[in-house]
Amino acid sequence: MRYIDYKTVLPRTVAGALVSLIVILPVFTTNMITLSIFISSGIWAVAAMGFTLILRTGQFSLGQAAFMAIGGYTSAIFTVNLGWSFWPSFLLAGMVSGIIALIVGSIVLRVGGTYFSIITLALSEVVRIIAQQWESVTRGTRGLITSPPSPIAIGGFEINFYASAVPYFYLTVMLVAVTAVVFWQIGRSRIGGTFYSIAANPILAEHQGIPLMKYRVIAFTVAGVFTGLAGSLYAHSLTVMTPYMLGLWQSIQIMIMSVVGGVGSLAGGPIIGSIVLYTFGIYLSRVEIYGIQQLLFGGVVVLALLFLPKGTGLIDLWDRFWRKVVWREEEYEPDTPDD
Amino acid sequence: MKKRYSIATILLIAGMVFGLSSIASADEPIVIKVGLPTVLSGPAAPWGQIGMEPYLTWIELFNKEGFKVGGKTYNFKLITVDDKNTPEGGAAAAKQLIYGDKVKFLVGHWSWNFPAVSAVANQAKVIFMTRTGNEAVPGGLYDPKKMPYVVFANPSQEQFVSDLFALVDAFPKYKKIGLLDCTIGKGPGWDLVEAALKKAGIRYTNEWFPFGTQDFAPYITRFKEAGVDIVYVAGWVGESMAFAKQRWEMGYKDMKVGHSGPFVSVGMYNAVCGQDAAQGFIGQYWANWDFKKTTVNPKYVKMCQDVMKIVSKKQGKPFVYTGWIGWLPSHLLILAQAMQKAGTVDDTDAIMKAIRGGTFDSTTGKWTMSGAKAYGSPVVFGTPSALSMIQGDKEIYLSEHPMKPLP
Amino acid sequence: MPPVGIWIDGLIQSCTYMTMAFGMVLVFSILGILNWAHGQFYMMGAFVFYYAVTAAGIPFPVSLLISGVLVGGLGILVQKFIIERVNIPSAQGALYVTVATIALIFFFEGAASMIFGMQDKGLAMVLPGVLDLGSFSVSYQKIAVVIFTLVIMITMYIVLNHTKVGLAIRAAAQEPNAASLYGINVKRLSLLVMGIGCALAAMAGGIMAPVYIINPFIGGVPMIMSLLAIVIGGLGSLTGAIVGGLILGFLNSVVAYHLSYFSEVVLFVLVIIILLVRPQGLFGASRK
Repeated sequence: MRYIDYKTVLPRTVAGALVSLIVILPVFTTNMITLSIFISSGIWAVAAMGFTLILRTGQFSLGQAAFMAIGGYTSAIFTVNLGWSFWPSFLLAGMVSGIIALIVGSIVLRVGGTYFSIITLALSEVVRIIAQQWESVTRGTRGLITSPPSPIAIGGFEINFYASAVPYFYLTVMLVAVTAVVFWQIGRSRIGGTFYSIAANPILAEHQGIPLMKYRVIAFTVAGVFTGLAGSLYAHSLTVMTPYMLGLWQSIQIMIMSVVGGVGSLAGGPIIGSIVLYTFGIYLSRVEIYGIQQLLFGGVVVLALLFLPKGTGLIDLWDRFWRKVVWREEEYEPDTPDD
Repeated sequence: MKKRYSIATILLIAGMVFGLSSIASADEPIVIKVGLPTVLSGPAAPWGQIGMEPYLTWIELFNKEGFKVGGKTYNFKLITVDDKNTPEGGAAAAKQLIYGDKVKFLVGHWSWNFPAVSAVANQAKVIFMTRTGNEAVPGGLYDPKKMPYVVFANPSQEQFVSDLFALVDAFPKYKKIGLLDCTIGKGPGWDLVEAALKKAGIRYTNEWFPFGTQDFAPYITRFKEAGVDIVYVAGWVGESMAFAKQRWEMGYKDMKVGHSGPFVSVGMYNAVCGQDAAQGFIGQYWANWDFKKTTVNPKYVKMCQDVMKIVSKKQGKPFVYTGWIGWLPSHLLILAQAMQKAGTVDDTDAIMKAIRGGTFDSTTGKWTMSGAKAYGSPVVFGTPSALSMIQGDKEIYLSEHPMKPLP
Repeated sequence: MPPVGIWIDGLIQSCTYMTMAFGMVLVFSILGILNWAHGQFYMMGAFVFYYAVTAAGIPFPVSLLISGVLVGGLGILVQKFIIERVNIPSAQGALYVTVATIALIFFFEGAASMIFGMQDKGLAMVLPGVLDLGSFSVSYQKIAVVIFTLVIMITMYIVLNHTKVGLAIRAAAQEPNAASLYGINVKRLSLLVMGIGCALAAMAGGIMAPVYIINPFIGGVPMIMSLLAIVIGGLGSLTGAIVGGLILGFLNSVVAYHLSYFSEVVLFVLVIIILLVRPQGLFGASRK
């Protein structure tokens, strides 16, 4: 009998079962609110995954919302102004966002570090200002009204996006799944390993002949493509795209979701972080005491950072749960030298 | 024998119980839930919060009598959710209200997220009562065919124009009006305002400031150089106060300042701007007991005055904010009267039909909903466009320019 | 040529940005972190000042000092209990500190909203009166801002260059490891520096409170502006902060006068160009 490492297999099976439950959620409930929560968290999760990927190369981008906006506007402009159908516009949104990420990244990643972060921050605002001023195309502040994709007839029945949230839910699930798989594979591949090395020690990596720029730009562009797709989905699910929807604060939100979820993980971390924080945000909107929303949100994030073991996020709690609670493993603490 | 008696007794008692309870429930008003997605967090929150107490008090007073449709009495129950003033928050709030709290009507909405909320409401066939604004004017984002359940119960954008007419009525010897707004407000709403001003031959100039500006010296100087003597700010209260204070300190004491919003409390303006800088500050006035050119149903006038008294007592200090009067209570009155006209509280399409072109008795006067010509759908009615001014520690009536109902 | 009023306004704005940028750079050079909640300390300083003057009737200069001390103290607590705990020694450390300080922005805004209420407050009475200079006038309050900034700058100069503590701070800023070898307790010094930085922000908030409006949301714009000022001046340089603040203040005022709301665009474009062409700003050390 083949030896099955139950300690690895069991947690993964349970995780897989949970994920499958979420995927077949519409079988249990077509409650609009529950589905909407998953749709929105899914969109943010994709953006958060992009942030984590860029972080893997040692840079942190405070401008991911800008790429969501670029994607959203691209698909909005093509569907509304040019009458294209949703699906090609959706793919185009990803492409345009990726191309812009490529161009911007090639220029901006040279400076690196804190300067890069500040430029990406400015990027969110620049995109907003362009969207606001380029009235002939984006209609400025009043924005563009988009529509959900038109009904698709398959076999005998129709997938109707207007009638219920279920088709949208599956569209989002598919995007999240594709992004997760792609990113996870990148993480496990040689490219992923190279990302680590240029993040950990850029000077050493350069000495070994690794072209830093090339890998940074790759990560930035890939993130840009998927974030653009997420942005397109966002614009069509809300049926409106305005300059003020995706700005600096949304970039910050993406960063927080990624960090709280766990930056070590490219797929699971951002997904958990998005779902937890988004649901928390929804819950907070019903609280009646004025001002407590922001206080609780900020407070909870700070507490999460303080109490999660250093350098980990929510996703790592899963591992610790299995090791400490289920297997009752003793944790091996190497001797720490005196401070 | 006994068994038959006992069964009969049980049936008799049951019948009496049911009969009695149905009589009792016939007296018990039926509750209709209405949802209010409004701004309760972030910088615009004070204007959402300040309305909550008077709204709830007004609904309590209204429910004492309730309204009758088809022989049954109905009451309203208000459920509020914070929409954060963003499209995402608005859509989430609307979904919570419609699918979670099961409201059939969204009322009192004024946030800047009309398209997102409208999409959710129209998909669920829920009547959505809101205001016209930058996004919801002809040439804007409003499409009556796609959004058949929208009612513009407050013509905010058009009211801004009437406010300016009232301003000119008050100061006929004005030189030039300066309009100040944040860049967020650019759009077809402003185009409408400019077209109307040009048509009426009013002299004006306008300036835009970026969101977050606290220092208005450049804009004050630009207005001064353009020859402006009255500055009217599009609704930004904190910014208007800063503007008033700074213009006084720069020496431009003859420049009048006003904003298209009601006064929360004169004391706040005197404290923030300084007593002398705040004198003559102009604002919107919704106190229906003071209207001179518009007649309001005395019953509603009394109700509003009672609300002011009750809230003042609850707060322990005088409550003078009048801005709430023209909003939620007016929306609810339109809704109730439309239900009465249509003879139903459930049939949304019938209620919408009753609203289109109908005449309604609201807290700010008797107005007719415009029909198909204005926006292609039921909407907008008039407002009194009354203005007030700060004198000493009080706000006094300044002028009024009732809006002509749209065709 | 913009009128005198605009130049004065530019000067006033520069003073605020200089003070805030100076505090931010101090913190950055010793602790290596950007405190994104810096603007919130400005806001809290404004509120403390407001209540000290109106509710407790404490005279203006003392109130200013009180707001500096109290909010500076809060800054020290934040550094000790949050930032130090979160700052793990690796590249990730900077990320966690960033997220933590950004989360603190929400926390402080929420706390201020709950404690002080979201309504706008203002101070008009602190230094009433206006100096008439013919075609325009300057309020005494604005003159006080300039005087205050001068006092702060001179004090900082004296402290940093002519006292033991100042010497220790400068040493730790340049070379923390060597400094600790010389017996300087860098950790305790960091707390002190954080306190000074936050106190500067708070006092800037206090002195500007009568000129602008006070509400829980006024911290955002000063934060971004001091960040831009540091970028222009150079991330690690104290002189850079001062020069950057000056440039930014005048730029803001003059450009807004000529181009009104386009000033936003100009500022961002300028900052991006600087970051791409000369990322170390005017005075920063050219390090990668």
